Amino acid sequence: MILSDMTSSDVDSYNSYRVTFKPNCSLSTSGKVKVVLLLTVIPCSIGVGFSLLGAWLVLPFVGIEIFALGYAFYHVNSHASDYESISIDGDSLVVERCNGQHVSQHLLNPYWAKVVRRELSNGELCLSLLSHGKEIEVGRYLTRKQRESLAEQLQKRTGTFFKTLK
Amino acid sequence: MSTTTATHHDDHAHDSHGHPTGLMRWVKSTNHKDIGTMYLWFSFTMFLFAGGLAMLIRAELFQPGLQFFQPEFFNQLTTLHGLIMIFGAIMPAFVGLANWQVPLMIGAPDMAFPRLNNMSFWLLIPAAFLLLTSFFVPGGAVAGGWTLYPPLSVQGGMSVDMTIFAVHILGISSIVGSINIITTIFNMRAPGMTLMKMPMFVWTWLITAYLLIAAMPVLAGAVTMLLTDRHFGTHFFNAAGGGDPVLFQHVFWFFGHPEVYIMILPAFGILSTIIPTFARKPLFGYASMVYATTAIAVLSFVVWAHHMFTTGMPVAGQLFFMYSTMLISIPTGVKVFNWLATMWKGSMTFETPMLFAVAVVFLFTIGGFSGLVCSILPVDIQLQDTYYVVAHFHYVLFSGAAMAIMGGIYYWIPKWTGHMYDEKLGKVHFWLTTIAFNVTFFPMHFTGLAGMPRRIPDYAQQFAEFNMISSLGAFALGLSQLLFLYVVIKCIRGGAKATNQVWEGAHGLEWTVPSPAPFHTFETPPVLK
Repeated sequence: MILSDMTSSDVDSYNSYRVTFKPNCSLSTSGKVKVVLLLTVIPCSIGVGFSLLGAWLVLPFVGIEIFALGYAFYHVNSHASDYESISIDGDSLVVERCNGQHVSQHLLNPYWAKVVRRELSNGELCLSLLSHGKEIEVGRYLTRKQRESLAEQLQKRTGTFFKTLK
Repeated sequence: MSTTTATHHDDHAHDSHGHPTGLMRWVKSTNHKDIGTMYLWFSFTMFLFAGGLAMLIRAELFQPGLQFFQPEFFNQLTTLHGLIMIFGAIMPAFVGLANWQVPLMIGAPDMAFPRLNNMSFWLLIPAAFLLLTSFFVPGGAVAGGWTLYPPLSVQGGMSVDMTIFAVHILGISSIVGSINIITTIFNMRAPGMTLMKMPMFVWTWLITAYLLIAAMPVLAGAVTMLLTDRHFGTHFFNAAGGGDPVLFQHVFWFFGHPEVYIMILPAFGILSTIIPTFARKPLFGYASMVYATTAIAVLSFVVWAHHMFTTGMPVAGQLFFMYSTMLISIPTGVKVFNWLATMWKGSMTFETPMLFAVAVVFLFTIGGFSGLVCSILPVDIQLQDTYYVVAHFHYVLFSGAAMAIMGGIYYWIPKWTGHMYDEKLGKVHFWLTTIAFNVTFFPMHFTGLAGMPRRIPDYAQQFAEFNMISSLGAFALGLSQLLFLYVVIKCIRGGAKATNQVWEGAHGLEWTVPSPAPFHTFETPPVLK
């Protein structure tokens, strides 16, 4: 799994709140294509050259290797568009997560949802939203500082039921 | 208040990949630090075994005449010494260092494909098993040299097949490892770490991985053609069937010469990391270091036939390969100049890693110069297959690669273990290694120039004194590595507490994490400014 930096986009108005986090990937899709092509050209030339000299058994190994290399970059790229978004609109709080091709959504009620902060033994802070026995981890792509900031933002917008009780 | 705070919930999903324990921690590990540790221990074990074979070789050569072994077994010793040192010791050691350091240096949580990383390591075990047990099959181990030239390799016994399979497995391991390193470096750098901000060790490993990608299929093809010649009736290299044994040499050295750089470029990366730390100055000419490394990698593909000057190629070909070989000294010279310029007027101290780094710069340069001597065509025709060549490549591979690895281990081991190593013993190890190495290999220049051939267990009386000196040096060199083992074990078991930064002049992301580096680091990446 590639966990890296986040990029976030916020939409914050009176009634709605939306934030999106993306994992870091230090190479763009076009960059990946260029790198794979660069990595492919020379081994293929070598394989073809040796085939012309009669040592054709080099070529199949080049092919297998280039396939493996291409698949590795394809796999990485397929996770480059992963994201996690949290949106609050009226009485719906939606946590949406994209992992590869799989998109999952969790619907909570912001009036009932609690922000749970856990200090982990490795010094990290883990955030999750808890409501009706369902706990959803959020802020996976964030640093500790960013998670603390997210927790503050979510605390302002969730758990109003409990706040009223107090 | 809608906030709940809990602490140390290790069963939580986020921390469920906590710290496994016991034997299965190592067998199933996908953690780059654990796998790096396993690579390093594996390579050190192989280093001691192949070093043991070298001790047997030097025992036989202690005096002229046959002392202990028959020539056939002597050749098995030299062949397996070379194969195991290259594929079992030097290469896995660099992969181990890459596993430990590359993710830490670029701010990544792990390698891009941790399970493949585990597989890469465990493939080494059956390959090593095949190589080591080949001594016990009928006919003994491969005796035709690590280059596996036909016709000997076509005619050899079962051990040749075992070696071919071992090479295939090692090749798969290397290619998978290279793909992992390339995808990690390109895709998982921390925000702000552009390519031209990467540490030199990461750069050299990126280029090394590319060399492996380009060169390994050639080796795989070469040994597969050997296999089909042996068992499936093809005649790629069998002259009796119209094949060409010299074609094997071309194919092999097309892999073999980049392989030399695969074993030295990461060493250059280690030097470029250690020297600025102990000179307390930034690396001089960072960009030129990157370009010089790239130039060396490119040139490594157009020099292969300098290993074959005596096979009878056209003069134009000989001249081309002579000049292209000489060209490599230019980017290498740039590197040596930059290391010296980094040290120039630096506030230098000489802890053990720096001692190793300075010694590598000096001794590798000797090896580089003797390589230049060998590149001169008429001289090489005289020196081909003499001990001069043995001296040359040991100055490059032992005092270049192996001693750089030792320096790297001393440099990073406080970060790995959380303890400082015993500086006094480290320095004793350095001086014993350096002196013993020179006592062993410097006289070989003289015996080689005087015409003593390599891979022969007997020699003329005139070489007796130099060979005795070399053997005494070799025994001291071998024994001094046991001290290295002791220093490492002592450091693992305890010692002064290492700080996070460890070295006053150290810079880079790896020094921002605690010592010892936690099991998981940079799960969320740092941001470079």
